[in-house]
Amino acid sequence: MSRYNNRREFLRNGLVASAAIAGVSLGIIEPSESLADEYPDLTICNGKDPAIITRQAIDALGGIKRFVKPGAKVLIKPNMSFARGPESGANTNPLVVREVARLCADAGASRISIVDNVLNNPSDCMKLSKIPEFCKEVPNTHVNYVKNERLFRDVAVDRGTQFKKMKVLSDALDADTLIAVPVGKSHGSSGVSMSMKGMMGLIYDRISFHNRYDLHESIVDMVTVLKPHLVVMDGTRILSTGGPGGPGVVIPMDLVIASTDMVAADAQMTALGKWYGKKIQPKQIKHIRIAAERGLGRIDLENLNIKKISV
Amino acid sequence: MIRLQRLIQLISLAVFLFFIIWAAYPETLDLPLDTFLKLDPLIAGVTLITSRHVQVGFLLSLLVLLSALVVGRGFCGYVCPMGTTIDGIQGAIYPKSRLRSPRSGYDSRSQYRSIKYYILLITLAAAVGGVSLAFLVAPISLVTRFWGQVAYPIFLSIADVGLDLASPLYKFFPDLAYVQISRRVSNANYFIAGFIFFVSALAIISPRFWCSFLCPAGAMLAILSRRPLIRRSVNSSCTQCGLCVRNCPTTAIGEDPHRTSFQECLVCRRCKEVCPESAISFIPGRDSTATVSTTPNITRRGILLSAFSGLTLAALTRTGWNQPRLLGQERAVTPADLIRPPGAMPEPEFLKLCVRCGLCMKACATNTLQPVWLKAGLEGLFSPTLVPRLAACAVNCAVCGSVCPTGAIRKLPVEEKIQAKIGTAWIDRQNCLVWNQDKKCLVCGEVCPYHAISFQPAQGRKNGVPVVHANRCAGCGWCENKCPVEGAAAVRVSVAGEVRLESGSYIAKAKEYGLEFKVADKNFDKLAPDTFESSGIEEDSTSENGVPTSNKDKLPPGVLDE
Repeated sequence: MSRYNNRREFLRNGLVASAAIAGVSLGIIEPSESLADEYPDLTICNGKDPAIITRQAIDALGGIKRFVKPGAKVLIKPNMSFARGPESGANTNPLVVREVARLCADAGASRISIVDNVLNNPSDCMKLSKIPEFCKEVPNTHVNYVKNERLFRDVAVDRGTQFKKMKVLSDALDADTLIAVPVGKSHGSSGVSMSMKGMMGLIYDRISFHNRYDLHESIVDMVTVLKPHLVVMDGTRILSTGGPGGPGVVIPMDLVIASTDMVAADAQMTALGKWYGKKIQPKQIKHIRIAAERGLGRIDLENLNIKKISV
Repeated sequence: MIRLQRLIQLISLAVFLFFIIWAAYPETLDLPLDTFLKLDPLIAGVTLITSRHVQVGFLLSLLVLLSALVVGRGFCGYVCPMGTTIDGIQGAIYPKSRLRSPRSGYDSRSQYRSIKYYILLITLAAAVGGVSLAFLVAPISLVTRFWGQVAYPIFLSIADVGLDLASPLYKFFPDLAYVQISRRVSNANYFIAGFIFFVSALAIISPRFWCSFLCPAGAMLAILSRRPLIRRSVNSSCTQCGLCVRNCPTTAIGEDPHRTSFQECLVCRRCKEVCPESAISFIPGRDSTATVSTTPNITRRGILLSAFSGLTLAALTRTGWNQPRLLGQERAVTPADLIRPPGAMPEPEFLKLCVRCGLCMKACATNTLQPVWLKAGLEGLFSPTLVPRLAACAVNCAVCGSVCPTGAIRKLPVEEKIQAKIGTAWIDRQNCLVWNQDKKCLVCGEVCPYHAISFQPAQGRKNGVPVVHANRCAGCGWCENKCPVEGAAAVRVSVAGEVRLESGSYIAKAKEYGLEFKVADKNFDKLAPDTFESSGIEEDSTSENGVPTSNKDKLPPGVLDE
């Protein structure tokens, strides 16, 4: 089949391209905001205000409209599975989550679902993480925990090395846009827990990852299917030790990372932070390295187009 | 149209159920959830006698007793949720025609009339002997147990199945999908359901058989209902058609419809409603009718035999070996896993006070509190125990003591409840993955909210082995619950070291005993942890939370060398 199905489509694309080139040459359109090839691979925004740095990081990546079309169903996966307050670093900063939700709402999302599979008592998690409280004013936004099996359905994992199918939250499978909003934190089993490890909050049977399979390979198997369109990583502070639940050493970082590449985002956060009192290379984190080796994203940060902003 | 009596019954039942449903963690409203239990004169009487102690709350039941002087057994007819429940069940299983009284009325059932008085006497005599049988016969205890332990879990699972079936609707109501119900289980639900069904099914002999012939609380009211102020009277327009006799739900009317047994009359006024001549009224003071045999065949022999039976029951209980007050022994013969809820009175007092209403088990945040069968002896039937394998005791929850109507479990503030040691974990080395198979497993230490388990080097083991620090272990059971060993956990809680105070501060006692209960951190303050992500069996883990671990400085397994 030819690239274009019909002449009309060919002409339209041609016209759009010409107009874009004209626009760029006339300075009307900022290239980094219009042409996919010109978007940075990853953005890091530094600053004190979590909401502002969240917005700036996403804007620098091309803006939320790149990911959320009007009427789209969005699923935001934060960390809110521990019954702890925002200061503990075990859950995503509610200000970051709220800003992402707001941007999605402004972009015209028809439904914004914020979900995590909680580990502690559900009502305590919802209350102490403060995410529901902060997000309740955002239009079309629903914050829920998920435990019950009926909310999940089987999905084939064709590229799985450990398993060939898994149960995934239906809401995530049905969403037009999947946005991971993890907090950078240490993890007693996987080294660090960021966007990839965080996707375990959208699957039903996590225990077998720990007990039956190799955890690191399992995480990578999972993200072959459950791949976020956008990662917005909360680095306002990181849980440097004692993760995933804490208590542990919480280090303020005052930054947010945004990327379309989950591997790059996790690698960048790993490289920026200090973990267990040490600096750690991204390739030292087994699941990040395997994910890069299996072609799911880039770990070679030095070769990436990274845009740094300070506000 | 719904009859006034039915309406009041339903309202009363609704309030009763509301209180039962609200007996839960977290405690959102400060409601008197045990009000109905406090209304039960039998629970009040028995508890008063066994504990030799007046509890102010139980003075409510005095009001119920005094109400008998005015409205006879109106409480039974209008308020008692046991009566309403029996009405409901008997109405559901029998057609209306089977629920009618025989034409000969009161006299046809004379052989049963005295049973409830004898049951009352047996119960009170046993109480004098120091043994509470309230749990077997007190109506509000029985019905609370029924709704809390049988009906509520069934309701939850039906609702859950309903939500499953409603899945086609999720498309239209996405948030419906997120309505999630955690189901509950009970260890004695078959028996409790069977018992209530049985006493309701006795309606085949006579409607509301339990209320008329068995209920000892009803008997207490009946004794005071010989001539209540408001009572049934029949005037001269009565044609003796017998309709009232047939329709009386408690066979309280004699073959001669002028005659009423006020001890049996629930003042439901059905007789007045069905009377074609409007000959019946319930008016204070008026008395154109005689009462029927006011002392229903209670013999001196019967009284003596009942009292003797009650005392004998108490004596048998107190000379059995499986009882908490073995004379001349320093400790009772107690099963090692009979773990009582935190704040439970010392066992003898506990059993005297506990009426097995099951409110603590209904309210329990994690469902770990379960009724025991014979583990605590016959006397301890259906008393609450922790089953850590099922669930653990939520650290910052003290709801069991808060809802207990009799103080069998003391009402403790959370800070004090945390200091109330209920047992001590012990490692079963034969089962332990570390001890027995030298696998890396740290689950028990990771989940322990009190940091009471550490991992220490042991000869011949590559991996650190779990060690319980008894003075830090509160016995909450998180370790036993999460132990990955199938079947019997390799770390189990026993009653060893439990602290049970009749009065006084658990905090002070913990200090005196050198116990150090430190929950993980201040963020746990409002936490009822029910699930923990653990690093599993094969993996190593670093714990930074102050527990001395053998591998503290090592990086976790997900981190590779450079």
